Amino acid sequence: MEIIKVNNLNVSYGNKLILKNLSMPFIKNKITAIIGPSGCGKSTFLTTLNLMLEEYDGKYNGEILFKDKDIKAYDKDEIRKMIGMVFQKPTPFPLSIYKNMTYAPIYYGVRDKQELRNLVESNLKKVGLFEEVSNELNMSAMKLSGGQQQRLSIARALTVEPEVLLLDEPCSALDIKNTAIIEEMLLELSKEYTIIIVTHNLSQAKRISDYVAFVLDGELIEYGHTNEVFYNPQDKRTKEYLDGIYG
Amino acid sequence: MKKIENSIFKGIVRFLTLFSVLILSFIIVFILKESIVFFKEVYIIKFIFGRKWNPLGSADKLAIFPIILGTIYVSVIGIIIALPIGIGNAIVLSSYTDGKVKRVIRSIVDILAGIPSVIYGFIGLLVLVKFLEIKFEFPTGESVLAGGIVLSIMMLPFIISTCEESMEKVYAEYSGYSNALGVSKSYMIRKIVLPNSKRSILASIVLALGRGMGETMAVMMVIGNAPIMPKLLGKCQTIPSLIALEMGMAEVGSLHYHGLYASGFILMMILLIINIILYIIKRKLI
Amino acid sequence: MKEKIEDKIFKLWIISSTIIVVTIIVFVLGYILRKGFGAIDLEFIFGNPKGIPLGVEGGIFPAIIGSLLLMILSCIFASILAISTAIYTVFYCSFRKVRDIIHLIIQCMAGVPSIVLGMFGYTLLILYLRINRSLLTAAITLGIMIFPYIEVRVEKILNEVNSSIINSSYALGISKFHTIIRLILPICKADIISAILLAGGFAMGATAPIILTGAVIFAPIPQSIFSPVMALPFHLYILTGEGISLQNAYGTAAVLIIILLLINILSLIIGRRKEHR
Repeated sequence: MEIIKVNNLNVSYGNKLILKNLSMPFIKNKITAIIGPSGCGKSTFLTTLNLMLEEYDGKYNGEILFKDKDIKAYDKDEIRKMIGMVFQKPTPFPLSIYKNMTYAPIYYGVRDKQELRNLVESNLKKVGLFEEVSNELNMSAMKLSGGQQQRLSIARALTVEPEVLLLDEPCSALDIKNTAIIEEMLLELSKEYTIIIVTHNLSQAKRISDYVAFVLDGELIEYGHTNEVFYNPQDKRTKEYLDGIYG
Repeated sequence: MKKIENSIFKGIVRFLTLFSVLILSFIIVFILKESIVFFKEVYIIKFIFGRKWNPLGSADKLAIFPIILGTIYVSVIGIIIALPIGIGNAIVLSSYTDGKVKRVIRSIVDILAGIPSVIYGFIGLLVLVKFLEIKFEFPTGESVLAGGIVLSIMMLPFIISTCEESMEKVYAEYSGYSNALGVSKSYMIRKIVLPNSKRSILASIVLALGRGMGETMAVMMVIGNAPIMPKLLGKCQTIPSLIALEMGMAEVGSLHYHGLYASGFILMMILLIINIILYIIKRKLI
Repeated sequence: MKEKIEDKIFKLWIISSTIIVVTIIVFVLGYILRKGFGAIDLEFIFGNPKGIPLGVEGGIFPAIIGSLLLMILSCIFASILAISTAIYTVFYCSFRKVRDIIHLIIQCMAGVPSIVLGMFGYTLLILYLRINRSLLTAAITLGIMIFPYIEVRVEKILNEVNSSIINSSYALGISKFHTIIRLILPICKADIISAILLAGGFAMGATAPIILTGAVIFAPIPQSIFSPVMALPFHLYILTGEGISLQNAYGTAAVLIIILLLINILSLIIGRRKEHR
């Protein structure tokens, strides 16, 4: 089932056109990887999906349907609640781990102490962080390691119970071990959430994604099942990219 | 609910900002307005270049040339004394110290900046003025020189912190290359750091001049406050001290009252002109 | 050879200038504190000024309280407006022109000499609006003086908050209002308080703006914001200027310096704490 459907999307910053006439679906409870060389517009694409584009002063036209309804028909904050986002660099708030996790739930009206605790615990468990920090929930999140900080950022995004999770190169600042932990976690999470991940790490895309979209210079070149795209690319440019020609 | 909260907050913030900006603009307009009344009666050139300040006399006896000169003179003396000391100190801070020593000297400079002007005036009067009278047998120690020395101390923190910041950057950028050439540190500072800090030195001069010419208490307490042509070792008067001393006595709406506003206006204009001139120089230097 | 001489002169210059600066501060503080401590006792700190002319004997308690009240009130006036303005320019103002105009006006204001502000406060508040020379009029004038100081610093602090933190909050679907109040201000709290304290110290030491707008030679501890008020720097000025009592002037100067040093140290400690977070 398609949870998000993008039709004829154009995105621009000022006069600069970043994405051109892009159309593709995102399938529910699957991992879709968006790949392409740096500067091709894949991160911009991601920010368009939850309207974060506005914060960067970008504009788009075209149609983005979330559950068959145009995202413009939703409230901006509502869309962002349903479509969570994790950034390239870990972005823990300079607060305690616990407060990082309760920040959004309190905003959305959860006041009960026990309920908050449960939320913190269950979401930290989902990212495998709970066992590591259960005794130090009041410690500043800035003291965590890079990998832990990124997992905390993911757990924090989960606290608002999104249906879709956008990840913008979440492992680019991490070492191999933490990358492996996060990849395994994403596979686990995809049972509950639809995951869209931007990555320039091809082997990562191959390892975890169900679908792949290849973007080059703001255009969607190819979209399909991961195995098909990787082993039998239809477009010459996809093949060249996979062979390492665009770097 | 959240929408309302959001727009109420935005409304309040916007209102308070508008309010602040309006107050500030109002102040500027108000000062202009009170001065313009005066310039309708007294020709501005005459006011600036006339020699007599006699508030009880007729309109043509109201002029502030000696006072303008006094204001500039005291500040320039202050700069002349403070600049070499300040730059020297900034060099030490930026290039010769690090860690603990740097922190100590920096906090000393910060303390210097935090001491209120009335304290400087107080010490200036009790120590400096007395010293000038006794050691050099001046008829009166209250003088342009005393004002300049006191001001120079107050200018030091501004000069030091403005210069240090940019010198540190230049030093960090080039010290590696320069070391590789085997030249001495002092040579490198003289040939690279100092010339490259010209702009910040100029900026510090403007800052210090502005600070000095607007200073009231410290200067007022040591210059004797006589509206005569200033001499280095004689008494003088500055515009801020003139206002501080006479505003309370001036009858509202009188020529004297508007004359004081007009001198405040002239002071602000001088500061503006200095800023513009140095802005131009700075641009040309790039 | 020439190089060697230049090197010597250069080193002599920078070393002596550092020595001069250190000597000045040691001398200023040492002089005031040494002479001042002789004058300070319980009676001096907790008593009213007495004698003829007033201030020859007795203490400076009303001036200490007056100065603290002036500082607190002016900080309240200035911070509410300055923090709002900073929040507006950083988070809400979407037109560059508007922001530039706000900055220009604030910069102009920062350049206005404090005595001119005093003159303005005197004319507008006391002569035109007919408010008594009081705590209120003096505090408003001081507030105007420190407004640009606080605004510029708070704006800098807000701008330094990592934009990715702000965006992650927006990405959680959280409103700007909530993000500012619950996330950004708490993160910046220590720095903002530290900046306000510094500004407060600046206001407390200022004499020129309050000569005309509120400070008086003698007043009891103010009963309301419309009461006239004594202030340490003004008291010091009067004691010296009128030659009333050198002894008490030293004491007043020492008390003023000690309070200001404490405020500065407090500001440093609060501002520093963040680095260890």
